[in-house]
Amino acid sequence: MYISLNILKDFVKIPKNVDYKEIANNLTQHTVEVEGFFAEGEKFKNVVVGKVLSVEKHPNADKLNVAEVDVKKEKLQIVCGASNLEKGQLVPVSLVGAILPGDFEIKEAEIRGVKSFGMICAEDELGLGEGHEGIMVLDSKAKIGNNFADYLGLDDIVFEIDNKSLSNRPDLLNHFGIARELSAIFNWELKEIDEFIVDTESNDSLNSLNIKNNTKENCLRYNAIKIDNISVGESPQWLKNRLLALYQKPVNNIVDLTNYIMFEIGQPLHAFDGDIVDKIVVRQAKENEKIKTLDEKERILDENDIVITNSETPLAVAGIMGGVDSGVNSKTKSIILESANFKDYVVRKTSQKLNLRTEASLRYEKSLDPELTMTALKRFVFLIKKINEEAEISSSITDLYSNKFEESEINLNYKWLNDKIGQEIDKKDILNYLEKLGFKIKKQNEESFVVVVPSWRANKDIKIKEDVLEEILRLYGYDNVNSKLPYEELVLPKINNEKKIERNIKNILSLKHSLFEVYNYSFVGEDQLKKMNVDYLNHLKLANPLSGVQSILRQSLVPNLIVNIKNNQAKENNFGFFEIGNVFYQNPGNIEQGGDEKENLPFQESKVAFSLTGESEEKLFSEIKGMVNSLIKNISNKNIDASFYPLEEEMGWKGSMAVSVFVKGVRIGFISNLKEEVVNNFNLKKKSLFTELNFNTLFSISEKYKHKYFVEPSKFPSVERDLAFVINKDLLYNDISNEILNFSELITKVKLFDVYQGDKLNEDEKSLAFHISFSSKEKTLLASEVDSLLKELTEKLKENFNAKLRDF
Amino acid sequence: MKNKLNKIKEEFYQVIEKARSEKELQDIELKFLSRKGLLSETLKGLKDLGQESKKEIGMLANSIKKELIGKFDNVKKVVKEKETEKLVGDLSLPGKEFPQGHLNPITLIQNELEDIFTSLGFMVEDGPELESDYYNFTSLNVPPLHPARDMQDTFYIDKKNDKGENKLLLRTQTSSVQVRALLKHGAPLKVVAPGRVFRNEATDARHEHTFYQFEGMMVGENINFSNLKKLLEIVGKKLFGENTKLRMRPKFYPFVEPGNNGEYTCFLCKGEGCKVCKGSGWLEIVGAGLVHPDVLRAGGIDPEKYSGLAFGFGLTRLAMLKYNINDVRLFNNGDIRFLEQF
Repeated sequence: MYISLNILKDFVKIPKNVDYKEIANNLTQHTVEVEGFFAEGEKFKNVVVGKVLSVEKHPNADKLNVAEVDVKKEKLQIVCGASNLEKGQLVPVSLVGAILPGDFEIKEAEIRGVKSFGMICAEDELGLGEGHEGIMVLDSKAKIGNNFADYLGLDDIVFEIDNKSLSNRPDLLNHFGIARELSAIFNWELKEIDEFIVDTESNDSLNSLNIKNNTKENCLRYNAIKIDNISVGESPQWLKNRLLALYQKPVNNIVDLTNYIMFEIGQPLHAFDGDIVDKIVVRQAKENEKIKTLDEKERILDENDIVITNSETPLAVAGIMGGVDSGVNSKTKSIILESANFKDYVVRKTSQKLNLRTEASLRYEKSLDPELTMTALKRFVFLIKKINEEAEISSSITDLYSNKFEESEINLNYKWLNDKIGQEIDKKDILNYLEKLGFKIKKQNEESFVVVVPSWRANKDIKIKEDVLEEILRLYGYDNVNSKLPYEELVLPKINNEKKIERNIKNILSLKHSLFEVYNYSFVGEDQLKKMNVDYLNHLKLANPLSGVQSILRQSLVPNLIVNIKNNQAKENNFGFFEIGNVFYQNPGNIEQGGDEKENLPFQESKVAFSLTGESEEKLFSEIKGMVNSLIKNISNKNIDASFYPLEEEMGWKGSMAVSVFVKGVRIGFISNLKEEVVNNFNLKKKSLFTELNFNTLFSISEKYKHKYFVEPSKFPSVERDLAFVINKDLLYNDISNEILNFSELITKVKLFDVYQGDKLNEDEKSLAFHISFSSKEKTLLASEVDSLLKELTEKLKENFNAKLRDF
Repeated sequence: MKNKLNKIKEEFYQVIEKARSEKELQDIELKFLSRKGLLSETLKGLKDLGQESKKEIGMLANSIKKELIGKFDNVKKVVKEKETEKLVGDLSLPGKEFPQGHLNPITLIQNELEDIFTSLGFMVEDGPELESDYYNFTSLNVPPLHPARDMQDTFYIDKKNDKGENKLLLRTQTSSVQVRALLKHGAPLKVVAPGRVFRNEATDARHEHTFYQFEGMMVGENINFSNLKKLLEIVGKKLFGENTKLRMRPKFYPFVEPGNNGEYTCFLCKGEGCKVCKGSGWLEIVGAGLVHPDVLRAGGIDPEKYSGLAFGFGLTRLAMLKYNINDVRLFNNGDIRFLEQF
């Protein structure tokens, strides 16, 4: 939103030598963010007044002329297509380097073989109006070489305010609101709005207009008045200049005036042609009702939209845009002026649906003060007399206002205010801030007071004492508040152990195992899952995805790790990624939704996944199992190990190396490679292994086995023996090693050191070689004791697994 | 055969003692110890021997083989050490290269903030990323039809409730943890909640649909604006250095009243104005305010007895500023050339 200093000066007494930067900074610090400010003349930097010295036909183009133009400093050759160009004219000339509206930069050019050093401009090219019939011809008061801005009398300073920061302050979407803020911030004098409006009430001896409001809940107030003897034409220069300062193109005096008043005090106005419209009914639109709006587009409405009609035909989409057939045109002699208040969210919904945002809808959708409509109407009557002296009021003022605004009061207590701020603010200052902002102070005493909320703040903005606190605090200045830490009882903080373990896991995987931590999107795509043979139908989907490749909520972190691998495989040889992130399922979980919803939120949980990529799947398989084991040991105590069991069924994408990972009998996740077809579907050039572990299970293991306790080593030496057993190749390491470990309490450690399969054995056999430690707490073991134990062990293994002792 | 073996052994000792380089060692290994080496070739003759001498010669052969391999390994070790010693003459040579692991920069900045707040006695809380309309909006004083809902474009889940409404969404702000934390822990409470949030907007270098925030809230009997200010000042100093200043100005968030945002003096130019702060000398990094009484009430807390302060940092923005990252998409795309720098 643009704010003009000249318009502000109408409403608030701004000292002559004020620094504009101070205005901008203070508005930002106390009210809304000012993004910048500039002198209006800068809009026409490098645009000067020139005199046409000669005009000649372009040698190579019938419709072009070549002019010589005097801009005082130099004489320029300029190619120009306008038919009204004549020798002796004074014209606006954009010099090389000028930037015209629409970011159009003037450059030195060659047009059909003739050089051109600038541009002679038409009205529309300068953003001054719609005219493109020919170049603008200036009157004799123009001085050659002077800035064009000076010729136009553009002396304004314009502030640009971030619209987003006004979303809760509809009262500031206009100059009067900003003027009020300035008067409060700087303690400047704010003028009474009464000075700017006609002070007469409705003249009831005149005809009343035939207006009905059939949608009282959505049209909160409807004011209208008929004015005759209108002559539509160009606006006077002062009005044009003020609109131009706000980047508004002047249209005609009536439309300009309605717009101008909206920018001045914030109330959108609309003028109907009084000879076309003789009757107004405000109602909800009918299904499929059509209207052609001022922008010449046909709009299709439904029952949710409010329309202004002549009871049959729609005349305007309420609060958004008028219809093309009922609006003011050059022949209009009489107008009906509408100043109304429409329900905020209805206007917003309609505007969104029609994809039509206007200066009016922007204001209505934020909720406007219903008390403002009459002020705006009277302001129009006041100003129309200045530009159309013959204009004549020909009706009484219609005022359909069934739900009258009621004043609200808020009780405040000085002690409460000071407690919330954390320091004492002078009572006089508090009351002054509020009065400057338009609050009325009532029932005041030493401890407390009552404020009456002004109508322009009462709607949505200020309802409770905290809202008033903010008004006081921001005017006092956040920067003026002392800062001090809270004074509180010392309590032991609750520690979130899950977060601790999570960080621990991240550190182990990155710092110890040298993996890269990725943060992948929570979304996957249908194609992506199809390539992995994963059923996407049982996944949660987004109702409004940005794209098909990100439309489904992930149930595993692996699909996006595959994408990571694919994107990096050309750059690196051996690498690993990990992610800790959430996955989502359709069935309800154990977290409630709150509000009125009975069902719990869909089940979601955190997973720890990592991938290793390289040349040999066997090597990676061994490495990733080792990493999982190391991770488990590091988050629990060092006696805990992971064990690996082949997955019962190979499903989806999982390949020949799919195993479940167990710790102390609890499944914590899986490890797997990819099926060959999945590798091909993703065009992967290297081998990869993946693991995905359940974070909560890891956490409970870490909690359960977190205690570390020291076991004193035996005082007696241990006996070490290496034994290799030949067994059927389908038997599992897990079973043999557990059997050995559990065989005798004298066996303290069993470590696999070799696996062999090949020439020296039968095809269906493999050999597992173990390093076995024997030790007793009571005595030194004799070789004979160990040997006889080993003999028994060998027999047991033979019995249970048909294992043979391997002879080298 | 016995003689043959002893001769091989003799010959082996002659050459091994002279070996000075890895190349020579390789030749020796090939000649004597490899599968087609002298020892193996000789042992092929074993099968032609009688049972008794087979056993005797076999044992001898094995012990010689073991001996030779042991000797070979010893010499190899010495030779290798000597070769390395030759190189150690250049003391400036780099050491052995160990692989490095890398944490995502979001993790780094999140850890930094968590550590500041846990040292002040705050607990770290988590909340669901797939959240209900109630905790993300309604309980935070954003009722249906409130224009504040237009400010955030929300991803909704394609799953309707029994009234046919889409009430499940991906949280648009970590503030969704506020009411959950109040209901779970009650007052007094000091909590921070880092996490992933989502907005339905197209991505480019400056916009991401998935990014990270860091929420904080403190509720107690006498929490006031001055406390909020001090807390944010401390964070600024910890993050950007002792001379960092805080500036606050009004800003509207439905769940705080008064509401404000906080800017810190630019850590790069120290407030002089530079490219990072776009010449202003200030960086807008945090939104904050005193907790709205409606939010306290939704959390089962009596706003007449307790008051609270709340703040939210943009972790993604902080990381971009702090690590000079110019494209927000880098955080989520797993490019090793990006990740390896952290």
